[in-house]
Formats: sequence, C-alpha cells, structure tokens
Amino acid sequence: MQDDEKNIQEDAKAQAGAQATGAAAKLDLDNLDLTVETVEERISPSETNVFDK
Amino acid sequence: MTDFPITLAFPPQGHFTQPHLAIPCLVAYLRQQGFEDVEQRDLSIEAYDHFLSKDYLSYAREKATARLPLDQSAGELSYKEARAFRAAAETAVSADVLIERIEDAKATLRGEACFDTDAYVPAVRALYHGLRLVSAAHFPSELTPHNFTMAYSNDRSADVQAAIRDGSQNPFLRYFRQEVLPGLVARKPRVLGLSIVYGSQLVPALTLARLVKEALPDCHITAGGGFLAYIGKKLMAAPGTADCLDSIIFHEGEGPLNALCTALRDGTDLGLIGSLTWFDRGGDVPLVVEPRPIENMAMHPLKLDDAPAPDFEGLPFDKYLSPELVLPYDINRGCYYGECTFCTLPTVIGPGYRTRQADTIAGDVVALKARYGAKHFNFITDCMPPGMIQDLPEALIAREAGVTWWSDARVEPRAYTKAGAQRLFESGCRKLLFGYETATPRLLKLMKKGQSLKGISEVSKNCADAGISVTWYAMVGFPSETVEEARASLEFLAQHEGIVREVSLQTFHIDEVSQVYKEPETFGVEMIEVEGADLALYHDYRSSVGMTQEEAAEMFGEMMAGFRRHLPIFAGDTIFYFMQKSHYFLHLASGTTPDEFAERCRVRADERRARGAQADLRLRSGFTVQELPFSYKDAVELLGHPLARAARPDFLTGRFVANAEEEAAARLAPLPRAERVLAYDAENHDFVELRPGGLEVVRALDRAGDFGSLLEQFDAKLPGGPERRARLTHFAAELHRAGLLAGATTQEPVPAGSAH
Repeated sequence: MQDDEKNIQEDAKAQAGAQATGAAAKLDLDNLDLTVETVEERISPSETNVFDK
Repeated sequence: MTDFPITLAFPPQGHFTQPHLAIPCLVAYLRQQGFEDVEQRDLSIEAYDHFLSKDYLSYAREKATARLPLDQSAGELSYKEARAFRAAAETAVSADVLIERIEDAKATLRGEACFDTDAYVPAVRALYHGLRLVSAAHFPSELTPHNFTMAYSNDRSADVQAAIRDGSQNPFLRYFRQEVLPGLVARKPRVLGLSIVYGSQLVPALTLARLVKEALPDCHITAGGGFLAYIGKKLMAAPGTADCLDSIIFHEGEGPLNALCTALRDGTDLGLIGSLTWFDRGGDVPLVVEPRPIENMAMHPLKLDDAPAPDFEGLPFDKYLSPELVLPYDINRGCYYGECTFCTLPTVIGPGYRTRQADTIAGDVVALKARYGAKHFNFITDCMPPGMIQDLPEALIAREAGVTWWSDARVEPRAYTKAGAQRLFESGCRKLLFGYETATPRLLKLMKKGQSLKGISEVSKNCADAGISVTWYAMVGFPSETVEEARASLEFLAQHEGIVREVSLQTFHIDEVSQVYKEPETFGVEMIEVEGADLALYHDYRSSVGMTQEEAAEMFGEMMAGFRRHLPIFAGDTIFYFMQKSHYFLHLASGTTPDEFAERCRVRADERRARGAQADLRLRSGFTVQELPFSYKDAVELLGHPLARAARPDFLTGRFVANAEEEAAARLAPLPRAERVLAYDAENHDFVELRPGGLEVVRALDRAGDFGSLLEQFDAKLPGGPERRARLTHFAAELHRAGLLAGATTQEPVPAGSAH
C-alpha cells in the first residue's frame, strides 16, 4: 500500500513537471541529444568509370 | 565443326549495365571462320544477378553475421577494426530490408522506372548496399559495381594463388563451383577462353580456370585481354599459373584464337600460332616439373574493316541493369595520335592504328539494330581522327540509322566545329568524353597532349551548343603537378559550368609500359621497386617536385568536392547517374537535353535542402535501427581518409601501396566508444546516424502518428515550451532532409511498430 502511494505521488510530481502529454509524455526533450548525421559517401578513384571500356 | 565446342567467357568483375565488347568480337570471328559451336558467357553479369538475389543475400546475411560481431573491440575502435565494424553495422541494420527489396531494385533499373529519379536513386543504393552485404560475408573482400578487391595483392603470384583457393574470402569460388562448373562439365568445351580486361578480373578468372582445369583436364584454357597484355608474360612465368591456364593470347585476339582452335582441332603445332605464349606439357609423356612457357612470334593484326561486326547472340540481355540495351561497337583500334606520355591503353590491342570505314560502321550499326532491336550504341575508341568525325555522321545519316551513341573523343578543333558538332548530333551523338587532363599548359606539354586550353574550350562549347553532353577526363597527380596547378584545373572547370556536365577524375598511375616509367628523369620521378611483387605492373614513385602521391590522393578529394559544387549531376544523389555506365546517356537518348537534365538534378538537390517540418511528416515504412558502440559516421570518415584508401588494393591493378596499411594504422587516431544509433529506411536506402535521445523522439513520433500530433503534445504555454517545440521542429526537419520522414501523401502508411 505504501509503495502504491509512493508511486502515485511520484507520478503526480512527474506529471506536474512534464514537458508534454500523450506519446511524448516521457520525453525529456531538454536533455536529449537530437543530432542527426548523414554520411556522404566519398567517391574514390575506384568508383568512377575511367578506363571502363 | 559442331563437334568442337568452344566456350568464351567474360569473368567477373566488369560493369553491370551493358555487355563488354571483347567476347562478342571473338565469337563473331570464330563463327565467321566456320566454328559453329561457340558459346559465350558474361559471367560478370550472371554473378551480379546471382549475388543480388533474395536467396543469396539471405545466405550472405547469415555468413556476415557469424563472421563479423558488431562489438569486437573492448576499448577504442582502431583503424584496423573500423572496416569490420562498418560492415557489421550495415549488415545489422540493412540486411533484412535489402533481402526484401533487392529484386524490386533490379526490376527498377531494368524497366521504365529507371527514368524516374525518385525510383532510380533508391534502387541503385539498394544494389550498392546489397553488394556491401555480399562483401561483408566475405570480409575483407569488397565487391562493388566497379571493382573487386581482396586482402590479397594482385601483384604477387603467391597472393593470387592463395586468393583463388580461399573459400571464405573469395565469393566466386562457391559461385563457380555451384552455378557455372556443372554446366561446363556437361558441355565439355575443347577450348575455354577467358577475357581478362581489368585487374579486378584476375582472381575470379583464375579461380574459374583452376576449377575447370581440375574437372576437365583435356579442355585447353586460354586467356587474353587488356590486363594480360600488361602482365601476361609475368603471369606465365609465375608459380601456379600452369595449374590454371594452358596459354595466353597477347593483344588482338581474333587471329590467334582462331589459329589456336584450329590447331587444337587438327592436332597441329601450337608453336606456329602468332601472339600465343603456351605451356609445353610434354605431349603423351607428362612433365614431372612445372612446364615452362614458350613465347611465339607476334601475329599481324587484322585488317579491321574485314572483321565481322560483334556477335552478341547468347548473351543474357535481360540481366543487364539498364532499361534499354546499349551495345558496344569498335569503330577503330589503337590510337591515331598515340603520343600522350601517360597513356598506354592503345598498346593493349596490339601495334598500330586500324579503323573500319565509316560506311562499314554505319552498315554494321544498322544490322545490329535490326538483329537485336538495339537503338543505342557505345562506340569503343580511344579517339576518332578528324576525317572520321566528319564521315561517320554522314554515313549514319545517309543510312537513316536512327540510333543514338556516345564515345570517347580527342580535342580536334578542326573537326568539332559548330557545324561538325551539329552534324554529330543529327547522327545520334548525345555524349562525348574529351581528354582535358589539366589546365596547366606546362603539364599539357609534358604529357604531349597536343592540345590547348583554347581548343578544349572551343570544342566543348561547340558540342554543348549542338546539344551533345560533354564529359572531361581529368587527372590529378601527374609528376611535378603542384597543389596550385590542380586547383587551377578545378577553376578552369568552374569557368565551363553549363558546358561540361561530368568530369571523370583519376589519380595518376605509372605503369611499366608508359614513357614516364621508361624515362623517369624526364618527369622528375624515381621509381620504388617492391621486392617480391613478381606480377607488378604499376609502381609507386617519389617525386622530386610537385605533389607526393599522398597529397595527390588528398587533392582528389578536394577536386571531387569542387565538382559537386559546379556540376549539377554531381551535386546530390544524382551522382549515381555518372557512376553507372550509360544511365545518364539513356536519358539524353530518350530526348532529355543536358540542360533539362541538369535542371532536374538541381531541383532535386534544392528540394531536399529546402525540406522543413510540416505536420503530416511520418516515419517512412520499413524503417529499421541498430544501436552501436561507436560512431558509424566517424568510422566511414576514417575509412575515407586518403591514408586509409591507400591501404586498400589499387583500383586498376589490385595491388597494395607498400606499407600503406601500417602507416594508416599508425597515423589515424582510433575512435572512442560512443552510444550511437544507425537508422536505415527501406524506401530511400540511406544510412543515417542518430543519438539514443533522437531515437526516443523518433519512437514517440511513430506512436503519435505524425509530426503534427507529436508537436501538439508539447504545450507552448508551459515554461520552455516554445523552445522545446522549436527544437523538435528542427529535429523533424533534419530527419526529413535525411530522408527518414516523409509527408503522408508521398509514402505508404506506416506499419504499426515499425520503429523497433
């Protein structure tokens, strides 16, 4: 019983400080690293069509 | 002569978009000489088709996963471990998707959809990534659309002999055993001829040859082709070759091959066949020692005008990865100019310059069109002399050939005039590739190019004005070239934006036939001889002035980046059109002008750059992720460093730069551990790296349905709300530009739980 009460209190506390609702409720957006990196393939001499006769 | 079966094969690896010319020329000649049972096999396209299949990629996934654990490094990721890490990461995130989509990708390239850039680019990527999966299964070997290399060096016979027996690293051993050998054993050819044009074919060709030699000891196995014209003599003297081959034909193959087949059929002396080097195995009394090669006198080349047109009958046209057939046709052999100090290509086909008459060419083209339904031709030539540049269009127009074509060309201002270029266009010419090389007159003189910058400008402009797409061949690292001179080459190109559409750049190599090798002091270089390289053709060198080889490799990267700024085809993912032989040409052949195509590329790149975060953005279907212990992006960049690139076998020869691996390992810093997520989507086929936090947001977006729904959940009125919403919007826009998100109207519905 005591554990349940503690969980309810923590949930309420979390809810009060939440950044979002629904699917995003658990996201701590302020502290997430949202870096996106794409990889541009270098074209090496072996991948051009020179001498490809 | 139906009782004398002959099989001629083009071994892997060659380009996968159109047939190679070598075997069809030989087949035509043998059939003309009365050999009726001549089979031709393009084992390169057959192998690509086999490897790029659902079944084979499933096999490759299991093999790669077992061979390459994703996290095999306890601490940092060293340069030497980076390649395996990259392969393991790509396998983990993309294998399932590739297995599912590979057949569709091939179908796209073979059909009308190939002309749709939105379908084309992902399909080509899927093929590239499929080959990376095949490579991962045979790590550290690498099979790409343009090359095949292993951890073994092509310039050492001991390495070559080990490579042809290494079933774990040589994918062709299993392929030949299971897919090719049974048919050959059933057919029992009396002669098997292998065309080894590229260095990438050496190990696959000898792999097959050894298997056939064991299975069919009475079959005479001969080989020829451009690469063997360079190293054939060394190969015949090397240990182990006699277990694979019976002979090598040097230079032009038609006459010697016909004489060889005739002699074998009639049981006459092989010693009388010109341009043949062969092993005398002692007749009825087999030798107990390794046979020594016997080198015959050279045979005189054919009068080309009398040679038949190439015969493509029997090739698997449906397997080439192009929407329409492009047939190669040799209008001449050798080079009428033949002075360039860096070029040895004309020597591989034998002495002198030979040509067909313009009317013969036009007649053959018309006949080939009627026979195969081919409307497009790739004229194979080092360059056309001024007379032919004028005569050929007239002959094609007179015969109403109704074809389109492309070819290499030499800067001939007298022939590529405004009127001349116009006539070429009218005859179907849609693309010409000129040897530009450099913008430095001093170097052009040293190269003996016999052309001026004014000439290249004028000729290119005339062709562009006529509607012909212009490609320049350029070179970086010619002895004594400085960094500033290389940059001047780039600057000169920049001055020709809108005229030049593609640049084919190559770093300079010294081969043993070139004038640079024979007269190193003239060019200020000193050759480096490597001990034990008994099949060496290309040589490293020290240069007393100008860039070092390493600096030239770095400059290659700088110049490629410059091309991406100045050439629309190179600017974004449309660079794949440049990299796949004839694909851009087929757009031109279908009526698109070079300007229209460039605009299409520009619009595509701009559209991607301009992507924002609209509300209907969703995860693309088939999105997969893999958590990684190191940064994939950093690993790829590490492996793209010139030092790391030098540590892979060289493109043309398959050899290794001496000590490059050790130097790369010593100088390239290891990567620290890092929590990363690699994402891959089944529609774009692109790798994108995220952080674990980014993945959390992606999953939330997937649960919310679309970006707008996710954004709504962040209340702008809460403290920090606007900043969070802005951050989220920025992230979504980046994912959109990276291709992981798409508007709801432009994609299929997202399956539930796809972000697993």
